Amino acid sequence: MADLLELRGVSAAYGRIQAIAGIDLSVPEGAIVALLGANGAGKTTTLNTISRLVPATTGSILFEGKPIERATSHAVVRAGISQVPEGREVFREMSVAENLEMGAYLRSDPRGIRDDIERAFDYFPILKQRYQQKAGTLSGGEQQMLVIARALMARPRLLLLDEPSLGLSPLLVEKIFEIIHRLNREGLSILLVEQNASVALGASSEAYILENGEVAVKGKSADLRQDDAVRRSYIG
Amino acid sequence: MDFDLFLLFLQQGIVSGLVVGSVYALLALSIVMIFKTSEVPNFAAGEVFMAAGYCALFLLVFQHMPLWVAIPVTLVASFIVAALFRRGVLKQVAKASGSPVNLVIATLGLSYVLKGLVRRTGFGDTPRSFPALISTDSIMIGQASITKLDLSIFITAILVMAAVFWMFAYTKVGRAMRAVGMNPKAAQLMGVDLERIHMLVWGLAAVISAIAALLISPKILMTAEMGSIVTMAFAAAIVGGFMSLPGAVVGGFVIGITENFVGLFISSRAIVVAPFVAIMLVLILRPQGLFGGKFAIKKV
Repeated sequence: MADLLELRGVSAAYGRIQAIAGIDLSVPEGAIVALLGANGAGKTTTLNTISRLVPATTGSILFEGKPIERATSHAVVRAGISQVPEGREVFREMSVAENLEMGAYLRSDPRGIRDDIERAFDYFPILKQRYQQKAGTLSGGEQQMLVIARALMARPRLLLLDEPSLGLSPLLVEKIFEIIHRLNREGLSILLVEQNASVALGASSEAYILENGEVAVKGKSADLRQDDAVRRSYIG
Repeated sequence: MDFDLFLLFLQQGIVSGLVVGSVYALLALSIVMIFKTSEVPNFAAGEVFMAAGYCALFLLVFQHMPLWVAIPVTLVASFIVAALFRRGVLKQVAKASGSPVNLVIATLGLSYVLKGLVRRTGFGDTPRSFPALISTDSIMIGQASITKLDLSIFITAILVMAAVFWMFAYTKVGRAMRAVGMNPKAAQLMGVDLERIHMLVWGLAAVISAIAALLISPKILMTAEMGSIVTMAFAAAIVGGFMSLPGAVVGGFVIGITENFVGLFISSRAIVVAPFVAIMLVLILRPQGLFGGKFAIKKV
């Protein structure tokens, strides 16, 4: 399978503080790839570097073979990469409907957008009931569903998912991951950042483990689940 | 004071207050718009207003341009100057330091530049009067008397506000502006070009200020200091909660009416303190402002 996304030696820094250093990572077309590691290991920075919220200081990022490390953040969305940020960053004062329409900001096909909103309700029926409600009044789980649905409104080819299980009950985590699998079966490639290593390794085909901004371990998720060192450090 | 006089003053105060309040409301709207999207109080709002007034005066009176040329040119010029200020100055300041204080100081810088410009050209040396575009014949509303000009000021201001609210509620770009105000990072992840939105907000805010200037200038003497009217607009914005667009509008009317009541019932010399009394009353009784909603804990 060809690689949809490829990072080659990517580094990024906040001011003088090096956040990630020389990351090599690839997401094959149609795969779910997990990016694991402790707090502060550089997982979110990696996603933000791909989304061009944080500039890459060195290295190159290829999406469908084209370099995007100098592109603007909106060009990256237009190219087909949507990020679901951690912490459910909804537009709190906007209705669920408006949040979804914001997700389709770069599109100008009203009919297609309407169809995709219907599709989002198919994935997340609860959002249909909350349609006119302000996003800030939704529960944590509903907000998580909304931000995923919102990211899908851009019709991405690659979804960057940051900590979708954070703060959710096990039942909701299961539900969210069911949907992640369904999206993946329908052709969406996913780069999944998670603290919950056992869930993430179960969901993905390949995984990378970051430590202090560098790739410490990489391999097939099935193998990593059996690996004693990984189990001790990350699954417990 | 007998009761009839009281009723007359009451009506006159409300009607005159609504007229001048509608201009304060426009200016407050322009300040709050910028504050909501970039968290910078624009201390150049008054000078943008003043410079736009002088621009129109220059084109109309000194260049003898017809109205239908002079007004659009003034509005477009205001838009461009403000958008370029955002792009050329604020963006660089933000890049260099990122501290909001420096951005505020940059807006103060703009206010001095604009004031200097008007003085330098010599227009600001003597008070000037702006030609009334609409007749100043008076009409009666109830027992209150206002001019046709007053009425058209009020109607124009209301139409402009309606257009602004319509834009924020129903257009894509308006929604993007609100999104940037609520959560710039998420907006960026949706593909919103933040810098473009900031430029548009600054440009649009300047256009609204310019309209306010065109409306009120025939009623006042123009000087390089006329931007001090912005004190009233800041008062209106504070009364409205500073983060709320409807609040800014209501705040504008509250300040306008308060000012007129104070003038009629107490003394015209007390007018200058009226907005501060209104601010203090609101801050004591409802610290978050009339439309401020609940106190929100700010995210880090």
